[in-house]
Amino acid sequence: MHQITRSAELTSLPEFRKYINLACSHHSGIDKQITYDLQLAVDEACTNIITHGYQGMNPGSIILSLEFKGAYIEVTITDFGHAFEPIQTPAPDLEAGLEDRPTGGFGLYFIYQTMDEIEYTTNPYGNRLTFIKKLESAVG
Amino acid sequence: MFRNLQLKSTPDRIEPVTDQLTSSWLEQYSEAPILLSQINLLPENIKKRVYRILIPPELLARFQIDPVSWKGAGGGLHVRLDARAGSNSVRLMAFSDDDRMDEFFHLEISDNAEGSLEIKMLQLNDPQSPRFGTVINREVDQDVTGKAGRNLEEEQRAMEAGLAPGQIRDGLGALKITLNQFETFLAATGHRAYFLEPQFYSAAWLFEKRGFAYVRGHKLMDNIHAEFQHGGRLHQALDSSTSFRKPDAWRFVRGRAWAIHDGILEAISEKWEDLRMVKQVGRKAGVETFPGAEY
Repeated sequence: MHQITRSAELTSLPEFRKYINLACSHHSGIDKQITYDLQLAVDEACTNIITHGYQGMNPGSIILSLEFKGAYIEVTITDFGHAFEPIQTPAPDLEAGLEDRPTGGFGLYFIYQTMDEIEYTTNPYGNRLTFIKKLESAVG
Repeated sequence: MFRNLQLKSTPDRIEPVTDQLTSSWLEQYSEAPILLSQINLLPENIKKRVYRILIPPELLARFQIDPVSWKGAGGGLHVRLDARAGSNSVRLMAFSDDDRMDEFFHLEISDNAEGSLEIKMLQLNDPQSPRFGTVINREVDQDVTGKAGRNLEEEQRAMEAGLAPGQIRDGLGALKITLNQFETFLAATGHRAYFLEPQFYSAAWLFEKRGFAYVRGHKLMDNIHAEFQHGGRLHQALDSSTSFRKPDAWRFVRGRAWAIHDGILEAISEKWEDLRMVKQVGRKAGVETFPGAEY
């Protein structure tokens, strides 16, 4: 398992992206599109944690771990801020005109579009968001 | 709309709360966390059996203390356990002498409101080393960290002897085995993580090295490191205005810790407060807010 822990600050996002790139480059069969999708999903999820989860708090850590399990990659993001339920967030209305669309919400939409499974749990030990990215889903 | 997407939002299972541990409850909920308040209701000798796990046997052996009976070479009891029925906390102290004056191990843990465990205090002192009277306010019963009242002369002596704030003696170099032992206890009692609030910068750094992450305060630790660099406000505030603010203090963990204990964070409009750390049992977070630090 690969793991990195950084402060819940926007300045940590490039480090997470770089880390995903490095971890993926060490495993064969992971193309650039998958790496990009993972980076985008982690970027959006961490942005939510930073701007909402730790809002009003002295920001703590975000722990990002990647596990390469043959047919899929499991990404886990752990934080200790306020619980944030990404799954309950409605998808943005892509049919609406620009002026009618609320701001935000697209980051989560991209996560839903690019990941195959999402699980969110919260307990006294922290909040845990897990993505599954199947490797074959990127083909074709 | 969502290609291939499966969504699950699974709250961790909450086990039924029970005050009294029974064999049937333990059998039925094999992974449910057991609280200290539940253990404390057990008969004394059972409690002792359970809490024995908290002290590393090799640490007791170092002081010729039997890890089972807790008796020393002279036959006296060298370990004291406070785990009253009705309480949600445990205090365990080990002494190197029969008179129980020289404490070398002090651990206080408690349940928190969320049903997980907190380390409230952990001190590992070398009883052979000189003792410093850095604590002057004995009125505040819980304060043995030296923050309620400062004895500046003793603090300076302690600093010059190489101690960090909050230490009254040299350490034992046993933090790693003590935390490993504690995690064995946590795994046995069904806890997946535990928490503590570091009272000093040096303590936070030590716990980082042992695999802790921050519930609160990671950004503050990053800021402190940045501001101690050349040109930073904390670096500039190391102006020798007190013994604890020497210009080279930024280079070392202890130097920074003494300066912070002395209130230098005022220079960045911050205080050392509200930090909280978490350790996942069996896992290291890999936090390093002072890269390449010298202690």
